[in-house]
Amino acid sequence: MSPELIRLIIEATGDTLLMVAIAAGLGTALGLPLGVFLATSKKGELFAAPAVNAVLGALVNATRSTPFIILVVAIIPFTRLIAGTSIGTFAATVPLTVAATPFIARLIEGAIREVDQGLVEAARSMGATPLQIVRKVLVPEALPAIVLGLTLALVSLLGFSAMVGAVGGGGLGDLGIRYGYQRFMPDVMAIVVAVLIVLVQTVQSVGDRLSRRLNKRLRHA
Amino acid sequence: MNAPVKPGAFRVEALLPTPPADAIIRFEAVGKTFAGRDSQEPVTALAGIDLVVPRGSIVGVIGRSGAGKSTLIRLVNGLERASSGRILIEGEDVTNLTEAGWRERRRATGMIFQHFNLLSSRTVFDNVALPLEIAGVPRAKIEAQVSRLLALVGLSDKRERYPAELSGGQKQRVGIARALATEPKVLLCDEATSALDPETTRSILALLKQVNRELGITILLITHEIPVIKEICDRVAVIEGGRIVEEGETFEVMTRPRHPTTASFVEAVTGVEVPDYLAGRIHQQALAGDHAVLRIAFTGENATTPVISRLSAVIGVDVNILAGRIDAIGDKPFGSLLVSVPASEPELAAVFGALKSLDLKAELVGHVS
Repeated sequence: MSPELIRLIIEATGDTLLMVAIAAGLGTALGLPLGVFLATSKKGELFAAPAVNAVLGALVNATRSTPFIILVVAIIPFTRLIAGTSIGTFAATVPLTVAATPFIARLIEGAIREVDQGLVEAARSMGATPLQIVRKVLVPEALPAIVLGLTLALVSLLGFSAMVGAVGGGGLGDLGIRYGYQRFMPDVMAIVVAVLIVLVQTVQSVGDRLSRRLNKRLRHA
Repeated sequence: MNAPVKPGAFRVEALLPTPPADAIIRFEAVGKTFAGRDSQEPVTALAGIDLVVPRGSIVGVIGRSGAGKSTLIRLVNGLERASSGRILIEGEDVTNLTEAGWRERRRATGMIFQHFNLLSSRTVFDNVALPLEIAGVPRAKIEAQVSRLLALVGLSDKRERYPAELSGGQKQRVGIARALATEPKVLLCDEATSALDPETTRSILALLKQVNRELGITILLITHEIPVIKEICDRVAVIEGGRIVEEGETFEVMTRPRHPTTASFVEAVTGVEVPDYLAGRIHQQALAGDHAVLRIAFTGENATTPVISRLSAVIGVDVNILAGRIDAIGDKPFGSLLVSVPASEPELAAVFGALKSLDLKAELVGHVS
């Protein structure tokens, strides 16, 4: 394999990691508060706002039910507004973030809802404010599940990132399609797949290990 | 102008009834109704609750599940709000307190739970520190306070452990330390020993008693277990269907239950059942040569008198003990005996007369041949 191809593969891996990292970072920054709010704003809950909850929930569902490749195309005007352009690796992080945020929000909502309500009651009985309950009880107690959720989100984002080649996004998926498929270079395709497998395995095992380390429920005396 | 003090003036005051003990919590005709789900009728959880918790006492509320006791205890720290009536805590009407006002109050009220509700992600130390963090206490003070409390509950060596590494009794000790962290005047116990085995229950109850006696903390507890009441409560209220059906000093209520619910609770610990081998042979119609089976209740002073020998002496017949249970409520003995006496109808009146003269309560269970 030519040094040129190796350079391309390294570059594509870098692009993929960059896109996924930015989308995951922004997606978490936006998805965490959104997920916490979704988990605490139904009737009778800490930040009860059932109407807002319903609207946000519907918005999250709408985004999540749109196939990613369609989402990428559908929000091109928005992408252009944010990134100044709608093509290229940097621009591709916009649809990736838009897809990641509601996904992460739902995962975090699920993790928070798993926290024993008795702990919320205990914190209330100590005079905690709703924000203190979120910061000191809900998020720390849900952390092992949140980490697992974020791991799942990262793996999904690796998959999504392969599609942004459609808008000139670069990365491993794009390399695989352009060289492996369109130029009939099966060795490039194989390497792209292999690198993706290694990335997914690494992300998953690091995530699993981190979650297990954070989970203090499994310890035995 | 000052009126001259008459020599007899103080006598009048002495004759007035002593003022009731200082109430730290007072319920006045409190009701609680929950909105029904969907189109269902609203559910009445509590109705017309009048209850006084004297300062420094341990008061128990006993009832079966669904009786309203959980709602009752949650009214004291505002986790539930009353629908009617009023609640006074240290003389202050808290019925219409805002959520912010309640948060302030809750910091002066500790609470422990059936399932402990400890944070699994925090060590023992950090769990006890949580209420102090919430109250904004500086870290250095937290360190000293938590160390003191862990010593009090006997868990100094577990400070860096996680709840999953502790036994149920140890978890509840952490719960108690956490509830006491902000130095509350009142401790609320929500079925605090219901998830524990009898031995651990006793040690937790002993700790609660110690907290009450040594720190002067008033305890309001709810339970469905009469041993808890018997063991540590000064006063007891029996709740059923959202109403308090009986209330008073523990010994009084337990030895002279007036309401059937109370009687059935008391039965469980102090009553004696007819043994199985005998139950099938008991008949209600007396036959010649039958023995009468009697259940005799002992309370207070007469529990220590030699009843059996006195009874034998008075009625001139042998008394055969079939089953018995003598227990103590607080420091007063209490119990009951199942006995048989060789007596049929005519002599029975004399036996009951004799029991009455000894100030014992007795009932006829039946006859055996």
